[in-house]
Amino acid sequence: MEIIVCIKRVPKTAEADLVIDKTERDIEKEGLVFDINEWDNYAVEEAILLKEKYGGTVTAISMGPEEVNETLRRALAMGADQAIRLTDPGFEGSDGYAIARVLSRAINPLAYDLVLTGVQAEDDGYGQVGPTLAELLGIRHVAIVNQIEGIENGRARVHRELEGGLDEVIDLELPAVLTIQTGINEPRYVSIIGIRKVAQKEIKVLGLQDLGMKLEEAGEPGSMTVVEKVFFPPVGEGAQMLEGTMDEISDKVIAILKEKGGVA
Amino acid sequence: MEAQKNELLQKFELYGCFQCGKCTGGCPVSLKSKLNIRKLMIEVLLRENLSNMIQRDELWDCTTCKTCTLRCPRGLEPMDLLIGMRALSVEEGHIPKTIIEALEGAYKYGNPWNAAKNKRSDWANELELKVFPQGGKAANLYFVCCTAAYDTRVQNVGRSLVQCFRQIGYDFATLGNDETCCGSEIRRMGEEGLFEMLMEGNIESINKYDIRSIVTTSPHCYNTIKNDYAQDGLEVRHYTQILAEAIEGKNPFSGEMRKVITYHDPCFLGKQNGIFDEPRQILQSIPGVTFIDFDRSRENSLCCEGGGGRMWVESSDQGPRLAEIRVQDAVDMGAEILATACPFCLLTLEDAVKTTGNEEKLRVMDISEILVEVL
Ligand code: SF4
Ligand code: SF4
Repeated sequence: MEIIVCIKRVPKTAEADLVIDKTERDIEKEGLVFDINEWDNYAVEEAILLKEKYGGTVTAISMGPEEVNETLRRALAMGADQAIRLTDPGFEGSDGYAIARVLSRAINPLAYDLVLTGVQAEDDGYGQVGPTLAELLGIRHVAIVNQIEGIENGRARVHRELEGGLDEVIDLELPAVLTIQTGINEPRYVSIIGIRKVAQKEIKVLGLQDLGMKLEEAGEPGSMTVVEKVFFPPVGEGAQMLEGTMDEISDKVIAILKEKGGVA
Repeated sequence: MEAQKNELLQKFELYGCFQCGKCTGGCPVSLKSKLNIRKLMIEVLLRENLSNMIQRDELWDCTTCKTCTLRCPRGLEPMDLLIGMRALSVEEGHIPKTIIEALEGAYKYGNPWNAAKNKRSDWANELELKVFPQGGKAANLYFVCCTAAYDTRVQNVGRSLVQCFRQIGYDFATLGNDETCCGSEIRRMGEEGLFEMLMEGNIESINKYDIRSIVTTSPHCYNTIKNDYAQDGLEVRHYTQILAEAIEGKNPFSGEMRKVITYHDPCFLGKQNGIFDEPRQILQSIPGVTFIDFDRSRENSLCCEGGGGRMWVESSDQGPRLAEIRVQDAVDMGAEILATACPFCLLTLEDAVKTTGNEEKLRVMDISEILVEVL
């Protein structure tokens, strides 16, 4: 089974104080820590588990500058066999659609049974790349997959998560794109020794020309959406900031909850 | 696995073990956990395949208190064998999720608590400390510790220590946001590669600012910088050593405290580094204090279960927490304050005071916090 997994390197923003940059169309990335997008981590793990079960190879693909090699190496250390990095000044400013198009050009000439992506990215949260990629490759897709039950005779049985805790079970013909939900597995730890072991592995680099693409097919010209402005949500009413030591703050919280009927 | 097994065999001289059982006899978790360190010594020797062994949950029960190694009459290192087993598990990658998070945090943010790097020195915002990377000059580096830097409870220990240092005129600066995890727990969780990375980073800072002397909040940082980094010409001391020295002669902490105090020996300070007297000297020097020792104290002190990565993973056993036993003993002895000198001990013991419902009877305090009350 030949599996391709598309991954993205994203800034980790949960603990950081975000600042909007001068263009007002993005955040300051300086000083932020980058790592693999959480959903993609589950996708890589799932790809490796499938390989361990059914044999074959796993190819990790990502788009972006040289730093992205770090994320690809991480995938190699988890057990991927090959890595491809797509990079070109012409790719900059691509929206989900343009990214899917670049990915589709890179994936098209490869042999594959399955393409896995994360459901969405932590940074922009669009969730478009997977389904759009499937359309552009002309193959089936299932989004928000939380279990791959089995693969047999060129068909896969997968579960997808619906609202209210319902599971939908789908039987589909391969090749296909599956967008992977967090929690589908337990991604393994990647040790520093593991990363050192793959430090010399080749990462194939492809640009606009290598993919036979024209300037207007990627980047902002090739996108269907443009980010005009990024801003913090306006400060609303009703928030109350509590000050003091941990103990004082906890006492105040309990008093408020009691007063408002939250606890007896 | 075959090659790895042979490596463990050689490295830890497993043929030298004569199964006397002194290691397991002293192990604080053996009574309640499936972990049996003596059995581990022989199992690694006899088993064909270690794959299943390294998956066992109880490997994560060890607190790396080192009692087993210190007691072995053959001079073997059972604790390090266990860490070696964890290392195999880490390399293969299937380890508890909470351990993964701690390790990834140490890699990404330089601390196992996954807190932002640029907030590391926020605890000292109003203290106007000298900071080496900001041009500060001082004779000593105060190495704060991730837990003292980020944990809202333990931050008070750092602040108290700063007051103590100022009171005795001890000249120090910190590394500010450039301090990274010392790697003590990382190494003991079996992530040797990451430990080396963190160590190299800290040594680089130490050399860059030409630091010759370090004082630490935590016995864990103390132990690892002193014994694992083992840099020639670098003096490493725990804060209790500095303060004990300072109170000889004219004691700058002259206030009174009419309390019954007992002291819990942190494994990494006491057992592992022989610092038993200094903390006691400090406590006994306070006018009004009645000092009493635990039955199990000094070399025989009971581990609080905070070491060896246990701050980041629940034990697989169902038995009582050792910290709860410790707290109950303190209450039964009539102690009003349970003093300690380690961030992990402080947290585990304070938790235990709450879970055993002894909040009215017993206060858990770091020695530095007690001193601030008698300034
Ligand atoms: S104390 Fe030493 S010799 Fe005795 S069983 Fe343990 S490891 Fe073996
Ligand atoms: S280090 Fe301590 S907890 Fe771990 S096996 Fe040895 S005695 Fe037991």
